Order: sequence, then structure tokens, then C-alpha cells
Amino acid sequence: MAETTTNRDRSTAQPAFRATGLRKTYDMGETQVHALRGVDLEIGAGEVLVLLGPSGSGKSTLLNIVGALDRPTAGQLWYEDTELTALNDHALTRFRRAHVGFIFQFYNLIPSLTAEENVRLVTDIATDPMPAAEALELVGLGDRRAHFPAQLSGGEQQRVAVARAIAKRPHVLFCDEPTGALDSKTGIKVLETLANANAELGATLIIITHNAGIAGMADRVFNFLDGRIASIEVNETRIAPSEISW
Amino acid sequence: MKALDLKLLRDLWRIRGQALAIALVVGAATATFVMSLGVYRSLMETRDIYYERNHFADVFSGMTRAPRSIVGRIETIEGVRHAEGRIIQYATLDIPGRVESIRTVINSVGEGGETDLNRLTLVAGRGPRSSAAGEIVIDEAFADANGFAPGDEIDALIYGTRERLTVVGIGLAPDYIYAIAPGELIPDESRFGIFWMGERALEAATNRTEAINFISMTLERGASEAEVIRRLDVILAPFGGTGAYGRDDHPSNAFVDNELMQLDVMTTTIPPVFLIVSTFLVYIVLGRLISTEREQIGLLKAFGYTDGAIAWHYLKFALAISALGILIGWAAGAWMGRGMTALYTEYYRFPFLYYRISPSIFAIAALLAAGSAVLGAMGGVRTVIGLTPAIAMAPPQPPIYKTGFLERVGQKAGFTSIGHMIVRHIGRWPVRSGITVFGVALSLGLLFSTMQFLDGTNEMLEANFFRAQNQDLTVALIEAGNEEVLHNLASIPGVLRVEATRAASARLRNGHRSERVAIESASSNTRLWSRIDASGREIPLPPAGLMLSGQLAAKLDIRAGDRVEVDMLEGRRIRTQIPVVTTISEYIGSRAYADSVTLERLTRDNSPVGSALLRIDPAAREDILDELREMPIVLGVTERRATLDKFREMIDDNMITMIGFYIAFASAIVIGVVYNSARIIFSERARELATLRVLGYHKQEVGLILLGQIALLVALAVPVGCLTGYALGQSLAAAFSSDLFRLPFAPTRGTYGFSIVVVLVAAALTALIVARRVARLDMVRVLKARD
Ligand SMILES: Nc1ncnc2c1ncn2[C@@H]1O[C@H](COP(=O)(O)OP(=O)(O)OP(=O)(O)O)[C@@H](O)[C@H]1O
Ligand SMILES: [Mg+2]
Repeated sequence: MAETTTNRDRSTAQPAFRATGLRKTYDMGETQVHALRGVDLEIGAGEVLVLLGPSGSGKSTLLNIVGALDRPTAGQLWYEDTELTALNDHALTRFRRAHVGFIFQFYNLIPSLTAEENVRLVTDIATDPMPAAEALELVGLGDRRAHFPAQLSGGEQQRVAVARAIAKRPHVLFCDEPTGALDSKTGIKVLETLANANAELGATLIIITHNAGIAGMADRVFNFLDGRIASIEVNETRIAPSEISW
Repeated sequence: MKALDLKLLRDLWRIRGQALAIALVVGAATATFVMSLGVYRSLMETRDIYYERNHFADVFSGMTRAPRSIVGRIETIEGVRHAEGRIIQYATLDIPGRVESIRTVINSVGEGGETDLNRLTLVAGRGPRSSAAGEIVIDEAFADANGFAPGDEIDALIYGTRERLTVVGIGLAPDYIYAIAPGELIPDESRFGIFWMGERALEAATNRTEAINFISMTLERGASEAEVIRRLDVILAPFGGTGAYGRDDHPSNAFVDNELMQLDVMTTTIPPVFLIVSTFLVYIVLGRLISTEREQIGLLKAFGYTDGAIAWHYLKFALAISALGILIGWAAGAWMGRGMTALYTEYYRFPFLYYRISPSIFAIAALLAAGSAVLGAMGGVRTVIGLTPAIAMAPPQPPIYKTGFLERVGQKAGFTSIGHMIVRHIGRWPVRSGITVFGVALSLGLLFSTMQFLDGTNEMLEANFFRAQNQDLTVALIEAGNEEVLHNLASIPGVLRVEATRAASARLRNGHRSERVAIESASSNTRLWSRIDASGREIPLPPAGLMLSGQLAAKLDIRAGDRVEVDMLEGRRIRTQIPVVTTISEYIGSRAYADSVTLERLTRDNSPVGSALLRIDPAAREDILDELREMPIVLGVTERRATLDKFREMIDDNMITMIGFYIAFASAIVIGVVYNSARIIFSERARELATLRVLGYHKQEVGLILLGQIALLVALAVPVGCLTGYALGQSLAAAFSSDLFRLPFAPTRGTYGFSIVVVLVAAALTALIVARRVARLDMVRVLKARD
């Protein structure tokens, strides 16, 4: 994979997301849980970002808000020139439909649909998708198209989820612990497909993980603590997924 | 409270909507059971007590005229305990301001209204003095309908002479619980009254000193009714006996019996439908609950809870739901029963109504409801017992889907992914999907099969009043007359056509079977009177021999071509054998027909006019009715229009209430079934639906998966429900048929349509309530939770 730009260039290029003062508070009656306590950030287009941090520090909360699955209690969020925090539900759905791919720890495939049909779920509603079969080829599952989730291993299921996420040629891919349920070998395979999507489709990649080794493949690493970004590390060079020490 | 019981309460609260939906169906089962059995028992007990207290007789016979001394002779018949003679006289009334013919039947009673049999119960005033001319007691319904009170006077034409009657009391008697005028089909309390008059007074008014024309008797316990009737006919033959009959053929009693029989049919058909549905609902809901609680069950077992304890935990769940249903059903059943009973009192005249639902009815209803819930719980409880702690602790594998038959069809039809999701989910849970289809179908069937009673009744009316009858008025004569009567009638201005008909009493026999009938006939060139069979064909009267209605032929076990023995109870009272030429399928009564020549040969008299059929100019109706009232020979006038209107009114009153109940019941089933299926589908698919939302599907598109699946199942249920309803309706119509009426099964398209619409609307509203949850689906939360 040829590195033509430096990481610093990437992070200062036209930002994909911009947020100021994001807060998320869960009201639990007596007590309040402050999941996010004021987050400002910029995420560059085409950047690879890894979120690290202890359990409960607010990583998923941030990812869900940036991915338009959830709304912040306070703060503002822009995607390019659109203020996402000002959109209604319908418009947020349109935003996800047009720009965003998701990958979760537990695959979230539809058990009643085959691998190919799971991918078609997305290509059916996208504007310029790749054929479902091609997406499955990209993740190395071209020959398993007609199989149902129950007939696939965990790693294979996650690769179908990746195929489903990249098939629409998304601008951003959100991954919440994509390798959390996988062994190292399978995990690396999944990360490779994600890295390919970043390189070949130019998709911004945001990955939550508990595996500090994965941080090596990022341009930048956000370290979360207690609902805030405690520190940001910038990697001078990214390593390939195959070189990650698990 | 034990922790496990706390869990029970919380689970119940969590699925309260589903529990309530099931309770509604259980409630409907309990309510219909309590209502129909409660009303059945109340009505039966009321009747029995009334008969007992007022000494309702066992055997009855009319006659032309017999000396009062005949009563003593009849009491010597073996098996007769007590006999009593009376005069029964029909008369017409002249009530100012009323043009229509108003009739009465006057019964003779002893001093102060006392009799030994068929006793009068006074509700106001006093009984008539035996020889006080014109003192009468009138029946309560007639008094209410026409606003008469003791002290009022009524002009009557009795036996050809005008008399002024004075109302001295108001009462009722057990031989007139259901009172219909001769030739009518339903009671009309404003046009037909029952009067009681002192014996001497009525003897004088009808010129029957020391004579009677009707006799009633009670029998000894164990006496043979058939034998008494046979001997009675022999004794009364010289006095013009019109054939003795028992309680079964007594008009009032037969109608009450008929009603009881129909209630009994309701008790045995409707509640089971609800019980079956509630069993299935408990089965699917508890099954789903247990499958989501596998891990918890495994944990409990690992902690050392016994299979029995856990099974009991889930059984209690089912019992709690049914307990709620039982309470709803008890209250609703008692309330509806009261309403139904009130309806009965409008048509059945009892001096008291004994509405009481015995504790045993409540108890049986509760047992049935609880039993069906336990039965439904069995499937789930069996899986609970089968789970080992280890298996239960392992999370369930993703459900295994297959491409099946529907798939291949779908592939050709170009299913979208969502189409695949729907069809495969149905195929993955065929039993549950089947139960949904079956439940909705049963509800549709139930609604349809009760709605079709309206069609059946309309068809019966149509056949009877429009196809078979073309006359406007039927004029009954005091006694059979001749051509001259017809001339007199024809000369009334406005009368367009007059035809004679006649009905002669006879007893038909085949072996040991015997039936008392009136052989009906009309003039050979009739245009107003025709026999139309159930399929709408006109069946001409055979030139020689009899035509029997299908019901009568069946009762006598006779087929066309057989010969039947005829004992004429009129005219020269000949006894002969005559062939049955054809049978005709009819709706009302068991009837026999002959052409006029054949009938004359049987009666051997020369008076072919029993009553006259008139076609009139509607503009002259009032004048004609006035004229007829003045004619001494006229016993009464029946207007086709009025009878029809009265019938319609009765249908509106009765049937509409019933149909309201059944729409509510059918909706209860649909709500119970659709709500539970939709909630289960929703909870099973919440994760998938949330995933679709994440992928960028809009709420409406995601909602479509849920609604589409329900819609598909409901759509499948519609044809199944129509078939179920067809079968159920046909057997209900057959079960409701009696000697009095044969209810046709003649559903119209409108009834199919109406039932389908009710079911679809109930299903759609219910599904929409659940679909609202899709809109509120919290993507983040659902995705966080592992199944
Ligand atoms: N629906 C909710 N209601 C109440 N509190 C919540 C809810 N969702 C998250 N929280 C709280 O918000 C905080 C942040 O949660 P979040 O899921 O973002 O953490 P995380 O960093 O992703 O942790 P993990 O690494 O364990 O996934 C936690 O304290 C959590 O308990
Ligand atoms: Mg998380």
C-alpha cells in the first residue's frame, strides 16, 4: 500500500466531522450519568482513527452520536457543511443511508437473510453501491454468498458485516470493537479488509478497541477517560494490520 | 414474598399488554359461557316454577262443542289425573283510532278467575265474576302495549254480536307465555290480546250453555301421553275433536322449548371457540417467554431449584392470566345475561323472572378457562423440564433459516430482502404463524357464522312473505264458509281480487308415527298463493294426493311415493289412505298441502272457504278494514305488511344486540391473537429492526417488516376464516332449526364482506399499536443488549 501523503496532512485536510462541546447525560432519576462531559474534535476525511479507553469511559457513546444513531444532550456536530445536531430523525436516517457504514462487536447480521442478501439490504437503498457479490469478494467470501449466518463462523459473519458496511462505498466507517469477539488471526483479516476500504474507497475509519496493538494502524489515537478525550496521539507512520502484535 | 414470585409479578407487568389481550379472550369464553348457560338455566327454572305453580296442563284438545259432562268421562281415562274444560273464543276488537284488525282470544275462567289448570296470575285488579257479563281480565303485554288499565272499556265483536267489555284485572297464564295469533308467525302484543272472562258470561255470549270447546288435563306420573291422546281422540271425535296434543305441540310451550334449545346450542358452540384460542395464545406467549428466559432457567436449576418448582412458576403465570380473564368474563357474562333475559321478557310473558346464575355456573366457567390456560402452558412447561442447566446457560445459536417452497415462488416474483425476511420468519416458526392464522380465521368464522343468521332470517322472510304470498290481507272466518262469502268480500270497494284458501285439521300416520297437521289448499286458479321451495322454484299442488313439507315428511319418515294414513278431524271425519306425491323444502313449520278437489274429497263437506286472500288497492286499506270489522263472519284480518314490519322490528331489537356482542367477541379474539403475535415478532426482531435503522432504513420501511408479516398472516386467515365460517354457520343454522322454523343457510356476499372488514379493521388497529413501537425503537439500546 503506497503512502503518498503524511499523516499530518491527512488530519489537517478538509475535516469530515467537527464537534464542539458534546455532552451526553443519562438521567437515571436520582442520579445522573455523565457519559460525555464535553468533547471537541475534528476528524479528517480519509483518516484512520482509533478510540481507546477504559470500559465506561464514553467511547461507544461518542461513536453513536457521531454516527447519527444517537443525539447529544448538548453541543454541536457537523458533517462537512451539515449540522447533524440540527437535523430531524428522518434527515439523520438519510444521512446514515448516504454516508455511513457500521460494524459492531456482535456482527448484527439478519439471521433470516443469506450473506449476499444481508449485503443487498444496503445496496438496495444506496445511491452508488458496488454489487453485493463484489463486496463479498472483497472480504474473501465470494463462495459463501448463499449461506445463512448460522452456517458461518464468527469471523466470517463479521466479514459479511464488513462487506455490508463497505458495499455502499461509505464515506465513514464506524467500528465498535469489530474484533472483540474474534481470535487474532481472524481479527487481523477483518482489520485488513477495513484498511483496504480506507485505502481504496477513501473511507474515514473510526475504530473503538480495547486492543492497544490496533492503535498502530491509526493516524491518530484518542485516549478516553471519564467522558473526555484525555489525550491524542499522532502516529508518524501507520503499520499494516498484519504487523499488529495482538 | 419469594424472589421467584417477585419475578412472576414483574414478568406479568412487563408483558401486561399481552397478558391483557389473552385475558380478553379468556374473558370472552367465560362471558359467553356464563351468559348463555345462566340465561338458559334462569329461563328454564322460571318456566318450570311457573308451570308448577300455575298448574300448566300436559295434554290439550280443542273440539267444536261438547257438553261439560264430557270432562268427567275424560277423567276416567287411565293416566289422566285431572281434566278441566273451558271455552276458548276468538273475537275482534274495536278500539277507537285503530284501523288495523285487533284480535283476542277469550278464555273462560271460574268465579274470580279461578281455575284448576293453566291458572291465571293477576298482576292488577281482580278476577271476573263468573256471570258478570263483559267483565274481563286482559293480559299484561296487551294492556301495556295499548295502554289499558282496570276500569277501561273495550268494544268487541264476539260470536257475531257486539259487546262492551270492562277490564277488571290484568294478568297472565302459563299457556300463553308466547302468544301468537292464529296464522301469524310472531307475537304482536299490540294486535293480539289474551282475555279471560267468567264462565257463565262467556257461555251466554257464545251461546254454549253448559258446553265447552277446549279441554286440558294433567297426567299421572308415568302415564303414556300417546295412549291418552289416542283415547281422547276417540272420545272427542263425535264432538268435533280437532286432535289432542301434548306439551311438545302446545304452541306457547313449543316456542319456549325452541328458545331453550337455541340457547343450549350457543352454550356448546361459542365458548369452546374462545377456549381453543386462549389455549393457543397461552401456548405461544409462554413458549416465547420461556425461550427468552433459557439462561435464567438454567441459572435457577444450577442453584438447585427443582424442575417442579420452575414448572409451577410458569404454570402460575398462565393461571394468573386466566384468573384475570375469568374475573372479566364473570362480570361481563352476568351483565350480558341480564340484558339477554330482559330481551326475553319482551317476547316471553312471565309473571316473574328468575334471573339467577348459580355459583356452579361461575365455578364451571372458571374451571374451563383455567383448564385451557394450563393446557396451553403445557408445551412451554415441558421445554422447561427438558432444559439441562448446561444447555440453558449456553446462549442460543442464531436461529437456522432455510430457503423453502415460498422462497422459490418469491425468487421468481422478485422479492426484496424485506420480503425474504418476512417469509423466512414465518417459515421458521410455522406453528406460531399457523396459530395466528388459525386464531384470526376462527374469529372471522365466528363472526360470520353469527352474522349469517340475519341472512337466513331475511331469506326466510323473503321466501315466506314475498315469494309465497301475494295477498295483502288474509281474512280468517269464524267458520268455513262458501262462495257467497267470497262474493261479499269481492263487493267491498277497493278489493281487487279474492281467493279462497282452506286448512283442514287432520292427523297423519305412518306406522307408529303420527302428526297433527292442517292440510292447506287454495282454489285451483290461485294467483295469490303459491308454494315456493327453498331453491326458489314454484312447486304446483299435485292433482291427487298430498304434498308434505320436508320437515313433516322427515318426522313421519315418509318419502314421495309412500302412502300415508289420514284421519280427518273435520268435516265427515273420514279415515283413509292417500299417497304423498311430492315433498317441498320449506322454512316455516311442518305443513301439508292438497289441491282443493283432493281436500274436498277428504272433508266431504261443501264449504271450501276457510279464509280468504285479498289483494287490495292500498288507498282503500282503511275503508276495507272498517268494512271487514263490521262483518260478523270475519274472525280476524292479518296484514302481510304489518307482520313483516313486526318481524323486522323483532330482528332489529334482538339480532342487533346479539350482533353487537359478537362483533365485540370476534374483535377480542383478533386483538388477542394479533397483538400477541405482533409483540412476539417485534421482540424477536427488535435487534434486526434496529440494525436496519442503523443501516439507513427509515421508520416506515422498518415498520413494514412487522406490519407486512402480520398482514400476510391475516390475509392467509381470510380465506381460511371464510371456510371455517361457512362450515360453522351451516352447522349452527342446522342446529338452530326446530319443528317451528328451519333456518336457511343463505349467507350473502355482504355478510362475508362485513365480517372480513370487522376482522381486518380490528387486526389493523392492533398491529398499528404494536408498530408504533418500531418508531420508538432505541437503536443504541437494542444493539447493546445481547439477545
Ligand atoms: N442507556 C444508558 N443509560 C444510562 N447510562 C448509560 C447508558 N448508556 C451508557 N451509559 C453510561 O454511559 C457511560 C459511557 O458508556 P459507553 O457505552 O459509552 O462506554 P464505553 O467506553 O463504550 O465502554 P465499553 O468499553 O465498556 O464499551 C457508562 O458509564 C455507561 O454506564
Ligand atoms: Mg462500548
